[in-house]
Amino acid sequence: MKFGLFYEISVPRPWGRETEKTVYDNCLEQVALADQLGFDSVWAVEHHFLEEYSHCPAPELFLTACAMKTKKMRIGHGIIVCVPEFNHPIKIAERTAVLDILSGGRLDVGTGRSATWTELAGFRANPDETKKTWDEFVHCLPRMWTQDRFSYQGRSWSMPQRTIVPKPYQKPHPPLWVAVTSPGTEIDAAERGMGSLGLTFGGFADQEEKVKRYRKIIRNCTPVGDFVNEAVSSVNFLYCHEDEAEGVKVGRRLTGTFNYLAAQLLSVREAYPSKSYPSLGLLPSLRQEAAGPGDASGAPEGIAIGNPARILREMKKWEAVGCDRVNFLLNALETVPQQKVLDSLRLFAKEVMPHFQGASDCASAAAGGR
Amino acid sequence: MPPRYGKLDLAAWSKSAPAINGYKTEPWILKGARIVTLNMEIDDDPADNLIPATMHPSIPAYAIFCVTNYPDSPVGPFSIAEVRISGRTGVRPRGFVLRSFCDNEDARRELAARWGYPTVAGDVKLYIRHDRVVANVSAGGKPVLECELLDRDVISGGDIQYIASMHLARNQDDGKLVLVQVDPEFTFVKAERGKPRIILLDNDAFAAGANLRLANPISATFTTADVTLPKIRYICNPGLPAMQGTTKVAA
Repeated sequence: MKFGLFYEISVPRPWGRETEKTVYDNCLEQVALADQLGFDSVWAVEHHFLEEYSHCPAPELFLTACAMKTKKMRIGHGIIVCVPEFNHPIKIAERTAVLDILSGGRLDVGTGRSATWTELAGFRANPDETKKTWDEFVHCLPRMWTQDRFSYQGRSWSMPQRTIVPKPYQKPHPPLWVAVTSPGTEIDAAERGMGSLGLTFGGFADQEEKVKRYRKIIRNCTPVGDFVNEAVSSVNFLYCHEDEAEGVKVGRRLTGTFNYLAAQLLSVREAYPSKSYPSLGLLPSLRQEAAGPGDASGAPEGIAIGNPARILREMKKWEAVGCDRVNFLLNALETVPQQKVLDSLRLFAKEVMPHFQGASDCASAAAGGR
Repeated sequence: MPPRYGKLDLAAWSKSAPAINGYKTEPWILKGARIVTLNMEIDDDPADNLIPATMHPSIPAYAIFCVTNYPDSPVGPFSIAEVRISGRTGVRPRGFVLRSFCDNEDARRELAARWGYPTVAGDVKLYIRHDRVVANVSAGGKPVLECELLDRDVISGGDIQYIASMHLARNQDDGKLVLVQVDPEFTFVKAERGKPRIILLDNDAFAAGANLRLANPISATFTTADVTLPKIRYICNPGLPAMQGTTKVAA
């Protein structure tokens, strides 16, 4: 079981000149500390127009800064929106290769398709098409990374033969992941030999079924890349404090703030009925889970808030259902003061992480060799 | 930019708020309703003036144009057309109803007294054609809304998410101004999706003035459904954010 950080980069109003810089600086300070503490990875999302909720439209730049400030952590570029109006596939291949080089071969690439009308309509993208373009992109990307010359004539895009350079530092190429929010996407991940980057929870029983299904299907997959990245990751919140009541109180403020912000956005499903979006996606799902039934401490099931003992119990449950790693959201709207975030990371690393084999074994994350 | 909440002028709007006869209404089950909705993005900042402080605007703001024909009801057949502005009460998506037009006097009276519908008299017509569904609304012989769903395409009713309405009303029992949440239940018989087109909109007729500025079209749906207008479950203080001013009045 490994642990990472997951960044939306939430910026509170009012937006003064220094506000966004302060938030970005805080995130980078957290990442640098997490690297020293033995956290395995840092992930950053790609979101556009999601005011207050996520000011992270250029994750490759933030992650480049992360790579420069860290030595061991994996760099998770994800998810990249695989919709042509957002990102041209050639540019994805090129910029991920550069980031892999700059990070010394520490890149993981997460793929997805966006779940909000706010974003898709902003780019004039058709929600009915996104699953198809995602599929096309993930089949092209490994070939663009590995083939000396590449040409393509496809459904949503095409290119004549060219040499796409540079190539990734990792050989054969960085591990590929899929953001799993809609029901059944874990099957899409498994069939393509890609890691399952879980962005919802839905209860341990539900999670266990999903993991079993994923691991069964991936045994007979046809990988889109040159190797199978069998891995199951989940997202969570983290606030760890010696005093359980204080940990739960601050943690609930964090989860409540995140969920409130997420709720203000316009999901595809609310505005544009489409079989391509059978669920509400990450945002409302996380909202429901973090507001779900709690234990005696008042913290919802599975959420990593409270004291080390409680968080350890919850993480052991995640491990038991087959999860390989958990990525943590640390803040929303700077609700948790920076010093408390840093203290929480230190306490988690000291009291919880040692109970998990491989939790601080970051250096072993060579591409293809996992 | 400061934190965002609705900026509706409650003092001005309270003058036209309908009187609701308490919160104890029994549900109405309305079979075979034909419902056309058009979702249209609208300019964000002026739209803040069209939702109360209870609500946070959705990002982006959008308006819902909804025209429904009920072939049968406890007061006979009626049709109703309304404009709602999207927002959120806490973490829930809701639409604040600006005004509705209805062609049945008894229905107008009952809808206002039971659920706080802000309804005035008007002619409401639905025309179902092979390539489109057309809705025309007029009041006093003057057209106030002409809109249509184009390029009809069958979808699953399970893909449709209608959001609950919020009605500004004055409770006859205690004289208080409240926001009444009305969250109908829908059992879909058939559903279609198409492109929305607004041909004519009289902003003043829907009490929107210059604050409703149509922008990006989103989608349109046409459904046939059995609709239950439910018991009232929640009311809100229209001057407070929903997290602070929501009261549960029924299970």
